[in-house]
Amino acid sequence: MPSSISQDVAKAGTFKPQRSFADEIYRHVREPFPWLIVIFTAVVGLAPVVMDDVSLRESLLLAAVYVTLASNLNLMIGYAEYVNFGNIVFFGLGGYIGVYLATSWHVNLVLSVLAGGVCVSALAYLFGRGILGLRGAFFALATIGVNEAIHAFVTNFEPWGGATGIYLSMDAYEPLGGPMSGLWFCYYLLVLVMGLSLLLSYAIKTSKFGLGILAIGQNEDAAAVLGVPTPRYKAIIYAISGFLPAVAGGLYFFKSGIIEPNGAFDLTTSIEAIVMIMLGGAGTITGPVIGAFLYEELRGFLLFSETFSHLQLVLAGALLLIIVLFVPGGLLGWLRARLPWLRKWLQ
Amino acid sequence: MRKGFYLLAAAAFLAAGPALAEDTVTIGFTASQTGKLNNDSTSQLRGFELWRDDVNAKGGIKAGGKSYKVKFVSYDDESQGTRVQQLYTRLITQDKAQFLFSPYSSGLVATAAIISEQYGKVMMSIGGAEEKTYKLGNKYLFQTYTGASQYLAGALDVLKHKNPKAKIAFVYEDDPFSKAVAQATRELAKKDGFTVALEESYSSSTTDFGPIINKVISSGADALLGGGHYADGSTLARQLHDQKAKLKWVTLLVAPDSPNFSKLGDSAVGISVPSQWEPQVTYKPDFGPTPAEFAKEFTAKYKIAPGYHAAGGYSGAMILQHAIEKAGSIDPKKVAAELNKTDVTTFFGKCKFSTDPKSHGLQIGHTMVLAQWQMKDGKLVKEVIWPDNAKTANIMY
Repeated sequence: MPSSISQDVAKAGTFKPQRSFADEIYRHVREPFPWLIVIFTAVVGLAPVVMDDVSLRESLLLAAVYVTLASNLNLMIGYAEYVNFGNIVFFGLGGYIGVYLATSWHVNLVLSVLAGGVCVSALAYLFGRGILGLRGAFFALATIGVNEAIHAFVTNFEPWGGATGIYLSMDAYEPLGGPMSGLWFCYYLLVLVMGLSLLLSYAIKTSKFGLGILAIGQNEDAAAVLGVPTPRYKAIIYAISGFLPAVAGGLYFFKSGIIEPNGAFDLTTSIEAIVMIMLGGAGTITGPVIGAFLYEELRGFLLFSETFSHLQLVLAGALLLIIVLFVPGGLLGWLRARLPWLRKWLQ
Repeated sequence: MRKGFYLLAAAAFLAAGPALAEDTVTIGFTASQTGKLNNDSTSQLRGFELWRDDVNAKGGIKAGGKSYKVKFVSYDDESQGTRVQQLYTRLITQDKAQFLFSPYSSGLVATAAIISEQYGKVMMSIGGAEEKTYKLGNKYLFQTYTGASQYLAGALDVLKHKNPKAKIAFVYEDDPFSKAVAQATRELAKKDGFTVALEESYSSSTTDFGPIINKVISSGADALLGGGHYADGSTLARQLHDQKAKLKWVTLLVAPDSPNFSKLGDSAVGISVPSQWEPQVTYKPDFGPTPAEFAKEFTAKYKIAPGYHAAGGYSGAMILQHAIEKAGSIDPKKVAAELNKTDVTTFFGKCKFSTDPKSHGLQIGHTMVLAQWQMKDGKLVKEVIWPDNAKTANIMY
């Protein structure tokens, strides 16, 4: 994995500085990869419509949420190499703010979830300035602490329903034309958020800011010596990695019809997101996507299969163990090591 | 999908033909086969299965001149809301479930209801006591348990019966469930003209209730209502006895329901607890098994005495069956209309659903029973003392 990152770094580093914005856009448009992201997003978004399959929509919706979580977490884990165990706090808090605004204040859904994203990012920046001074295990512990603290706060915060949370009525979906079309609307938005997450990962990786972040991941002290403003960069990437998961949280919980503290701040989901990254390949853009889809499909398959449904957790655990033990670079790392031409297409 | 369509077309053709295939009615649900709710969900699932076997042994549900064998389709929801909507969508669209049972626990019920309501599927909610869910304008969701706010209503009834001027002390754990119950009961008590002598909440980890008990004594209260869970409830009961609080009536949530409570010895005597159902109740059912028959059959099959989750599962399913038979059809609208009219007593107690659009489907017929620990021939036993039509022993006040 480190070698593939340093190659990416070297590749990104060959671009000349001092370009105009139009040049910048043109440079990306010429590359095949962003187009792959756009096509992929469109395919996911349209597949359930074309196949007229609501079950497929539900499965892809979960996958889109997972991709969003994994891909944004990858900015921390894969790029900056800071393990954020409490990443689910973005999702949960964004969910609460979004659902609260959309139901209690009847704010437009899109504005509500965007507000959730902005609030969470702002908070993350402030927190980030504080806790990103910590490194390694201490940072990981601090992120769990943040999640637990917010969890405890929300459990006792009566305007958000306290321990029982906020229950949505069917009327909440009326502005979107009833629950039936409301759920489709949430689906399209979630797929869009997933696409934006991937483009964001790509944009950061190919930017000067991204170079700084990757340098922090390789060796933070060296990066600081070379002039990367590490505390500020780390706080910014922490804040950025919270924005889209928070938006996704608002959409997801609005779609679920209920948000309650134990479901919103569930550490298990945090860990699952980390597993997806490891499965697909940390530090790459495609990796978390592959990981998230594989994970979701695997769990779904085991859950529905007649033979395995009683053993699904055992099998999922065993498979993950095998992957982590024998393919530490993740699936994408393994492929890229064997098929170098893939590197241009799957970053 | 395409394949499913052909199969369906073939099935429709067969059904129309002279060689009548056996009709089935598919009921879908998720159960918590893994995760923290597994224990309660499993006993509920056993209730469902026992009902299905009973019904099918008798030839199925009879409606409109046909007999429908009952088929279950179920998935594991892992005790989490994450997959509930995916699974219920699948149950409805792919497995073609005609009726639904809810998952276990209030949060999961609310999540599943978003899907069942969209498709207009009747969902029997078995295992969601939280009342918020039923105040959202759902039309096809029907609750079989008594809601949280009614947990201590039976205790107030007993007090009204024995001492209408009683002064009540509310002492309860500082957790959401106990808080909600205590606050709702306090309002009921005020409406009934009782005096609230004291109101104290304590943290879940409290081990020394001395100061609180002193306050209770000096407030001159006759009765104490409250408690929380096992550890704090049993400690509170023991210390009340040790400090000779001289209360005439004590009802605590949850803790005294456990068989372990009898280990408290003399401290347990007279303490009462609300419960959705107890095996020894003596309701006279309008149809279906009596409480004793149910308990016997269940124990024979699973080698364990049924708790209220199992009984609730069986009776909830039976109420659905009753409505289908009355409607003479498996059309969800007609069945929902029958459920709205339901006003029956089964071995689980009365069942009647609210038809007020603001709280549609909320259970308003079923009442909690009140059990009390009493000394019988030198042994501690838990007797049902309230309501009158279910009691196994007289109230000890």
